[in-house]
Amino acid sequence: MFRLSRMARRSAFVASTILALGMAATASHAADKVTLTFANWADAEGATRPGIQAVIAAFEKENPDIEIKSEAISFSEIARQLVLRVRSGNPPDVAEVSGNDTILLALTGKVEPIDNYLDAATRAEVKPSSLEGLSYKGKLVAFPWTQAPAGLWYDKAVMQKAGLDPENPPKTIDELMKDLAAVKKSQPDVIPLGLDTTNRAFSLISNWPWMKTFGADPFAENGATSDAMKKYLSWMRDLAKKGYIDPGRKIGEFRPLIAQDKVAFLWDQVLLQGVIQSTNKMTDADFYKHYGVATQPAGASGKPYSFEGGHQLVMFSDSKHQEAAWKFIKYLATSPYATENYTLSYEASLTPLEKAPTDALAKKLDTPVFNAFSRKIMPTVTAVPYGPRFAPGATAIMAGVQQAVTGDMPIDQIAASIQQNLGN
Amino acid sequence: MAATAAQRSTKAPARKNAERVPWIDWMVLPTVGVLAVVIGYPVIYTLVLSTTKYNMLDMVPPRYIGGGNYEHLLSDPIFWISLKNTAVYTFGSVIISSLLGLALALLTESLTGWRFRSVRALLLTPWAVPFVVVAFLFRYMYLQNGGVINAVLLDLGLIDKPVLWLNNSALALPAIMAANIWAMMPFFFLLLSAALAAIPNEVIESARIDKAGTWSMVFHIKLPFLKSALFISSLLMIISNFNDFAKIWAMTQGGPGYSTTTLVIYVYRLAFENFDFGYASAIGVVWLVLLLVFALVYLRALKVNP
Repeated sequence: MFRLSRMARRSAFVASTILALGMAATASHAADKVTLTFANWADAEGATRPGIQAVIAAFEKENPDIEIKSEAISFSEIARQLVLRVRSGNPPDVAEVSGNDTILLALTGKVEPIDNYLDAATRAEVKPSSLEGLSYKGKLVAFPWTQAPAGLWYDKAVMQKAGLDPENPPKTIDELMKDLAAVKKSQPDVIPLGLDTTNRAFSLISNWPWMKTFGADPFAENGATSDAMKKYLSWMRDLAKKGYIDPGRKIGEFRPLIAQDKVAFLWDQVLLQGVIQSTNKMTDADFYKHYGVATQPAGASGKPYSFEGGHQLVMFSDSKHQEAAWKFIKYLATSPYATENYTLSYEASLTPLEKAPTDALAKKLDTPVFNAFSRKIMPTVTAVPYGPRFAPGATAIMAGVQQAVTGDMPIDQIAASIQQNLGN
Repeated sequence: MAATAAQRSTKAPARKNAERVPWIDWMVLPTVGVLAVVIGYPVIYTLVLSTTKYNMLDMVPPRYIGGGNYEHLLSDPIFWISLKNTAVYTFGSVIISSLLGLALALLTESLTGWRFRSVRALLLTPWAVPFVVVAFLFRYMYLQNGGVINAVLLDLGLIDKPVLWLNNSALALPAIMAANIWAMMPFFFLLLSAALAAIPNEVIESARIDKAGTWSMVFHIKLPFLKSALFISSLLMIISNFNDFAKIWAMTQGGPGYSTTTLVIYVYRLAFENFDFGYASAIGVVWLVLLLVFALVYLRALKVNP
């Protein structure tokens, strides 16, 4: 029979004791460690993945008792998946949301109000306007992470070729139409105006300021058949008939085109600068010489409008680690590291913070584009009527917009059809 | 043989009811159980949901409303547009691709050896391309700015300005159908080539001896032999196209307006954008009934032409 020497037995005993103690220590450490699930699309998109992963790693380093399990879900899928997971009692702890999806989730009653966690000091740190529209039944249901309003971007090189003053973008719809005509005439291969006319909720959000500047509100009583809405639809048809817009493209499809001087004006969010620079590798100085951004040209109402398309963070009432979840949310939205290394670097968006937390960040935010968005465009942001009617309404309204843009059906008939489908 | 049977019957009289086929074979119970869970439960649950008002966002249980969803369906113009678009898309695609598949099968019939193998491989390529890839491929080919189709047509002088293939209410559905036909035609080509090869040589030879011409050979000899293959493959493709989601969603998402909204797109929007599962289920039931009709015709056809 095989026999161990006394020395070997002693060594084996010491080794097994150390191993057992080590395992016990690891187990107790694991038991203390909180794991948060974080559903987000930042980790699903190649452009933002390195940024969010770096920020998560930094948070975990600062908070060794919290582990973040990132669940990458595409932007177009996240609302569906979150609602289904809430219904099946399996939501994540924290999620990235935006637009109508924030309110849709709140409707389920399973989003934890943030008021209980938001202390006065943190509340004072963020812009009061960034919290607007994030309440449901009087409770704050989401915390602003990034701010991304839309403005009218213009390509100065294209404008110059069209004989337009590149430092003087159009301020009214009439001026815009004249500029578009000049672009079309001088550069037929350039899309004069990039507008998202797809049929999805985001498209209605993007078009909402254009409806507003005509004084239209299709969700109001008989709003779809109002004169203002018909004027807006007629203007859209005019744009299409004259070849000023390229219907059916998502906003993201215009971004690489403007980077190649193939779009003259683009209605897009603040994040466009990052996309253009990642496409054409322009330096900041060259970018500001080549592109500019202004407020929306005012329509019949005489006022320019914009929408706020930033991202928010929510936590769920089923989460067993709400304290840790709030800590993570606060870190993502307000910490200097996350602001610098994600919000500014990867999202190229504005921060919800009232004041830059460091001088270095203040310097980074002091650019012509950020200044234009903060000072001129943000004040024109109009609330989009999010709620249970918004998603089905968006399908009906954008279907009508598409009919106006791509067909010959009389505008009155289209307006009546939108109204009927909104009623449905 | 008859004698043996008679001897057997005299020696060992048959048990009473021995010839009766049992109404269920106990051995199939596991299969029945699996089918009940995988198919039966979802179908029954959909039927139940279709009689309720149930929105997932409300966080309240489904409320029974009887035939309310079906009444709404009758007066819902988008449902009728979707139904019409589904019929046009399905039957249009199947008829055209089957005719093209038939023509190609007849044209390549006389090719043999490496020539046939090369042509067949080339013609089958579209069938190997995933549907979503087909959709994106055609979407970019149809682009108004930079699309290859408009570029070629402009170069040839056939058009004087780019055509909005996917952004014109009248052209969008035919444009998607063209992509679908391109992807589906090899299926018919493959099946009909096999059916053509199975026509007995004696039949072809005797027709030739009778001096049958090319057209006469096609119409009077070959087509009658291909009839059952054509019929069964068409039925299969009708069922498959009725459920086609990927191509339409990737190319137009049902737009512009509702011009390419089919039943499957409409149900998807209702269920997964509006979370209106009650009404979406009612449309799903109508859709299921329509598909069942085709499935029954298919089963009957299989019985007639096994």
